[in-house]
Amino acid sequence: MLNRDSAIRIFTAVAMALWGGTLFAQTATGTVNTTLVNKSGISLIFNTAGGSVNLGNSGTSSASANFGIISAFGTLSAGVTRPSVGPTTFTVQTSFNVDVIEGGLTSANYTLTANLAAAAPTGISYKVDAVSLTTTAQTIQTNGTYNSNVPHNLGLVVSMSAPGAGGPAVGFPITATINFTATAN
Amino acid sequence: MRANRGGTGKLKIVVALCCVLYAIGTQCQTSTGQLTISMSVQSSINLVFQNNPSVGTNGFCPLINSGTNSVSLDLGTASFTPASDSLACVAYSHISANTYQVSSAFDVVVTKANTSSPNYQLAAEISTAPPANVVWLVNNIILTNSAFTQLDASDNYSQAITKTLQVQIGNAVPAQSLLETVTFLATAN
Repeated sequence: MLNRDSAIRIFTAVAMALWGGTLFAQTATGTVNTTLVNKSGISLIFNTAGGSVNLGNSGTSSASANFGIISAFGTLSAGVTRPSVGPTTFTVQTSFNVDVIEGGLTSANYTLTANLAAAAPTGISYKVDAVSLTTTAQTIQTNGTYNSNVPHNLGLVVSMSAPGAGGPAVGFPITATINFTATAN
Repeated sequence: MRANRGGTGKLKIVVALCCVLYAIGTQCQTSTGQLTISMSVQSSINLVFQNNPSVGTNGFCPLINSGTNSVSLDLGTASFTPASDSLACVAYSHISANTYQVSSAFDVVVTKANTSSPNYQLAAEISTAPPANVVWLVNNIILTNSAFTQLDASDNYSQAITKTLQVQIGNAVPAQSLLETVTFLATAN
């Protein structure tokens, strides 16, 4: 019995040694071939400028600027200035920042254009910096700096004429949308 | 022929690579944004005081801060007797046996914007009750500190309206400085 048990033990030990040796000697390798297209792009956002009208949805590409009640001689909302009055028009103005963020570009700067989404109402014209806007895109800046707030002035030139005589409607909300496009140079 | 095919193939590859580079490269990258503007226009009028074209001559003293809506007018030092004023630009006169008057004229200009108002009313009020036997007037209309007194019912916009500020002082009034702030009110008709 002892001899038989010993034989079994030896056989088992040999079998385990063979099994263990075989198991730990097994290896496998694999490779993952990865492809990434780093696409370049730019994005434009509007930011509130210091001392100016607080933009609605500041920090996005779809912001709003509420001038409140404007007049040739009356009190203006915070952040709105009146750089000129008379004799036939007055101008109210605020500032805003355009931040064009780039990635993956070798472009040194960008060109900014703007246009009115719809024709301006009677008696009002819109200006960005020195450019009077129309429904056709016009160049505002040819060398905008990426990744920084670039300030621009937004001016409303308002006729002082009475409503119906070339002046704007009085006492009614007036809205306009300006489309801005930044193009990498 | 084989060489030509090879050349065409290389050209296709180059074109394809250019297209890829163009698509992911730096050219024609654009981004857009929309800024919506809102406002409401309100009609308004504005009043300023100006020196009369005759400023400096008797009866037309210069205004300090002419061209604004907050000016100062110095009428100098005057007395019943001797009958005089220290400033040559001040008009001095005895209007009765016991009262003298000093006066100076200036212009009021009211402009309008975004209104069809054809003209405006002009009124004035003094800030404090004057001492006894002292009367403040504009164009011979006595002013009070209790309410605005109408000076004109329908003045034209953007037209200089000459107004003469007068102070009538009785000879019994003690020596003192007479100070008043005269507020002019223009109201669109």
